[in-house]
Amino acid sequence: MGYSRYLLRRLGYALIVLFVIISFNFAIFRLMPGDATKMIIDPMFTPEAKAELRRQFGLDDPPLVQYVKYIGSLAKFDLGLSFSTRRPVINELKERLPNTMVLFLSSFVLTTMIGISVGVYTASKRGTFADSFVTGAGLFAYAVPSFWIQLLLLMLFGYYIPILPIHGTMSAPPPDGFFLQLLDRIHHLILPAGSNVVIAFGSWALYTRNTMLEALGQDYIVTARAKGLHEKTVLRHHALRSVLPPIVTLIFSALPGMVAGAVITETIFSWHGVGKYLLDAVMQQDYPAAQGAFYLIALAVVTCNLAADVVYGIVDPRIRVGEGGAK
Amino acid sequence: MALLEVRDLKMYYKTLRGYVKAVDSVSFDIERGKALGIAGESGCGKTSMASTVLRLLPSNGEILGGSVNLDGVNITKLGDEEFRTSIRWKKISMVFQGAMNALNPVHRVGDQIVEAILAHENVPREEAAERARELLNMVGINPKRYKEFPHEFSGGMKQRVVIAMALACNPDIIIADEPTTALDVMVQSQVLQAMEDLRKRLDLSMMLITHDLSVIAQTCDDIAIMYAGKIVEYGSVFDVFDHPTHPYGMGLVKAFPNIKAERSRVRSLPGFPPNLLAPPTGCRFHPRCPLAIDICKEEEPELLEIGSNSHKVACHRVDMLERGVDIWAQ
Repeated sequence: MGYSRYLLRRLGYALIVLFVIISFNFAIFRLMPGDATKMIIDPMFTPEAKAELRRQFGLDDPPLVQYVKYIGSLAKFDLGLSFSTRRPVINELKERLPNTMVLFLSSFVLTTMIGISVGVYTASKRGTFADSFVTGAGLFAYAVPSFWIQLLLLMLFGYYIPILPIHGTMSAPPPDGFFLQLLDRIHHLILPAGSNVVIAFGSWALYTRNTMLEALGQDYIVTARAKGLHEKTVLRHHALRSVLPPIVTLIFSALPGMVAGAVITETIFSWHGVGKYLLDAVMQQDYPAAQGAFYLIALAVVTCNLAADVVYGIVDPRIRVGEGGAK
Repeated sequence: MALLEVRDLKMYYKTLRGYVKAVDSVSFDIERGKALGIAGESGCGKTSMASTVLRLLPSNGEILGGSVNLDGVNITKLGDEEFRTSIRWKKISMVFQGAMNALNPVHRVGDQIVEAILAHENVPREEAAERARELLNMVGINPKRYKEFPHEFSGGMKQRVVIAMALACNPDIIIADEPTTALDVMVQSQVLQAMEDLRKRLDLSMMLITHDLSVIAQTCDDIAIMYAGKIVEYGSVFDVFDHPTHPYGMGLVKAFPNIKAERSRVRSLPGFPPNLLAPPTGCRFHPRCPLAIDICKEEEPELLEIGSNSHKVACHRVDMLERGVDIWAQ
């Protein structure tokens, strides 16, 4: 099987999954208890006014027609009007997406890099105090509820040792000048991103440590040592490189979970992002807003999975059989 | 002076229940251009011994004594860093057991050879790559396959790659640890043949570890038979195969069918190899030996020369054995 055929098949799967998700997304909000329109329709309205409002939001069509319209508008990224702000949902999401991306990417990159490095380090120091301590600490942070650690950190660094801001993405009013603004944003980012690292690095470290230990027991590691390679080269170039495929796959398949975690993180740190937007929308029964946020997150998840498949093909040559021409 | 002189080498594995005496006072020589076969049952310390020579021990392996002289230099005295850069692969390289996993699955085979060259020689990458192609060609692999991954090779081909890799830095000695065990018989003999041709051409010395006596008979000059961490019989292949003298050596040779000789039953050796945590006192073979007498239980026999040609045997009952009694007759 060639690499391009493999990719094409993966792309097909991704599209099917996306289609199923948006269909669910459509159904769920119409099956939820409570009337979708009670948020915006005052009981005092005349029946004519109610009907007119329902027409405006397209709620008077039969479900099937609503569904077809919904799919059509999603394709154009038209996510409808928010019930609560009466603004297009897509505009509201566009405002918040960069904030979420900044928090998400910084947490993600830091967590995986720190987690994998710690895993490689502890694997090379197996059985020592450093190994037990780091592994134990990571496991603890991973095992306790994430919001608890985040609240503790918030209390510690926001209140008892007030060196970090406790909420928001930047100061209000923001300082003057690009450089100061950047610093201000980074200052606000430290707690949310840092707490995400504290929560999640342990699972990466443990996973990396275990796969590394397994790899270090392989014959090709003895070969590498026998060749007279430096221990660092053996560790990185041979052991880590050979366990990278499963780790990378796991990283990408963990992205959806991290997106879900973003909702909690954003809520705790009052981060002006998509996750908090989703939560607020659900609380206010603002269906178009919630649907839009869900759609965006689903899109992100499916893209991440697809990315995992693409990357897996790159890092594990065995997936690429046939591409090189031999066999 | 022999190229490799191993004297009284001792390596024990430290475990929670005590020391496992895997290599216990082992001595042997390998002359330049000669091949020594090391034979013995699984778990008798063959691989541990090879790993000790190259210091490729797991963290609980401890070298407790003895010396390894290479070209007159005691390499057991070298620091780890010096040992890594000047001995490993440069002087002594290794062909590993299990052709399947000796190569890293995620690196191109050519690159794995190049890596060995670059670790020891200050040459440009292209030059190393050129040499890797020559090496592949030398072991009968199309140099165009340089850029392929191990999974694109068959077992025999992989083992050829491993051999090419072992030759990369022009070593003096190759330690081959069960080089053909994972291969089927046809491929096995092809690989052995290729190895022998190269060895003769490059005047290499070799230590060949195997439990397959026919492989030793086919390729080696000398043979050392190990039992429970010790060498019990040592000599030229002709002496040992024609006149096996240690009871264990005798049993081992008899356990192998000879297609040229008269038809006879292949005999198995009764009993099991001992637990190396607490090996038997005296001669370690005495619980399985039909000739064992009191002294065998108390005193450890020395490896002593019998007759000529430095054929050595460690047995108290050697006088009786020399008369050619078939002790495994019943």
